[in-house]
Amino acid sequence: MTTSDVRAALLSADPRLSKFSPLPRILAFDEFDSGTHGWTELLGNYNGRGDLSTVDDHMRDFRPPQLSACNFFDIGTHGALSGTYALKLATRPHKGHTAVAIRRLTMSGRGLVQLETYFAFKSEATLGGGAELDNFGDVQWDGNTHPSEAQFGAFTVATDLCGDGGLRYHTVARYQNTDLDNHFTRRWMAPTVPEPTPREHFEGKVKLEYAADFTAPNPEDWQAFGEPQELCYNEVPTKVNWHYLRWLIDTDKRRNVELQVNDRVMDMRDVPVPPYEERYETLENLLNFYFSVRTHSSVRNFLFLDSVLISVDW
Amino acid sequence: MTAVLERDTTFDTRFATEPYEVAWAGEARWFVQHIGGDGTATYVTQVSPDGITWCDLDALEHVVEPGKLVSWPVTGFGHWLRLRAKVEGSVQVRIHLAVKA
Repeated sequence: MTTSDVRAALLSADPRLSKFSPLPRILAFDEFDSGTHGWTELLGNYNGRGDLSTVDDHMRDFRPPQLSACNFFDIGTHGALSGTYALKLATRPHKGHTAVAIRRLTMSGRGLVQLETYFAFKSEATLGGGAELDNFGDVQWDGNTHPSEAQFGAFTVATDLCGDGGLRYHTVARYQNTDLDNHFTRRWMAPTVPEPTPREHFEGKVKLEYAADFTAPNPEDWQAFGEPQELCYNEVPTKVNWHYLRWLIDTDKRRNVELQVNDRVMDMRDVPVPPYEERYETLENLLNFYFSVRTHSSVRNFLFLDSVLISVDW
Repeated sequence: MTAVLERDTTFDTRFATEPYEVAWAGEARWFVQHIGGDGTATYVTQVSPDGITWCDLDALEHVVEPGKLVSWPVTGFGHWLRLRAKVEGSVQVRIHLAVKA
């Protein structure tokens, strides 16, 4: 029996780990039933006096992640996959608003990095109102499909990486459920430009308004990859079905590799990873991951994470 | 855990904070700081069965004046907390919610 056989046996015999497929070294295993595990709110940068009015408008309100029992008005506590609590990202009920949770590490090597998670996405339930609320976007409530699904905009998993003398770049995968007009698109996308930064604002190069898409503000700077994919919203806003996501990147080549979401594996090697032209300081070996959720309606959007596992081959 | 539910936001009319889930917590405490503006606001803790429909937790009103930091504990809450506020004048508000198991 080889070392890898023993490792595989140990992983498969562990009910907490056997639902993942980690690379050889596990950097983080975050079951949110026991806390937030370092996933925290993202905030833009501020001046030397702690003056938060110097934070970029589009990066000042990403909302604190919550430990959620997935409580709902109709059934009470839904609970998570691995216990009672999940990490919940919740937007404001403001079109374009984004909630972001970030986890901050550094790299002790280069090579493959893999993020796995079990996630669910929901819109907040609407209570009351008239019969017109049975319609939204492309949906007319028919006992199966529900307008709530069309009120969900997009969620994103991404990195912020820097090294080798301040060369900074992001890898990004976004599931766009609806476009900004609330029509279903159900596709995976990535930006073709790097994310605007506080330094670019400081230098007068960019100024974005509140609720701008901070990852890449211009919709034309996004490019679809893979084929459209329908996920399991499960009819109404209060049923939570957990989806598996596995995302592999290569920090040696500074490229995406592949994205698996449930039974679909998408080759991402040709998805652009545009670096910043200018070098960044104080970020050597930066290894950040973030999840975000963005509403395209005036309804709160939620991204629930049961657990996250980050592993590497170095 | 500490959540910053409003971060230097300016209000000149009544408002409520975003819903925050505290099902896991046994203790909670609000910290409300007026860091700008010349107005005064009155805060009341609210609870909810679902994060959508809200009622006052108690009859206690907490008045915060310009430049002041006011704090109060919260007990006997359910799975959600928020604040509602009545504002006189203009207030710039920073609101922390500290929660413990």
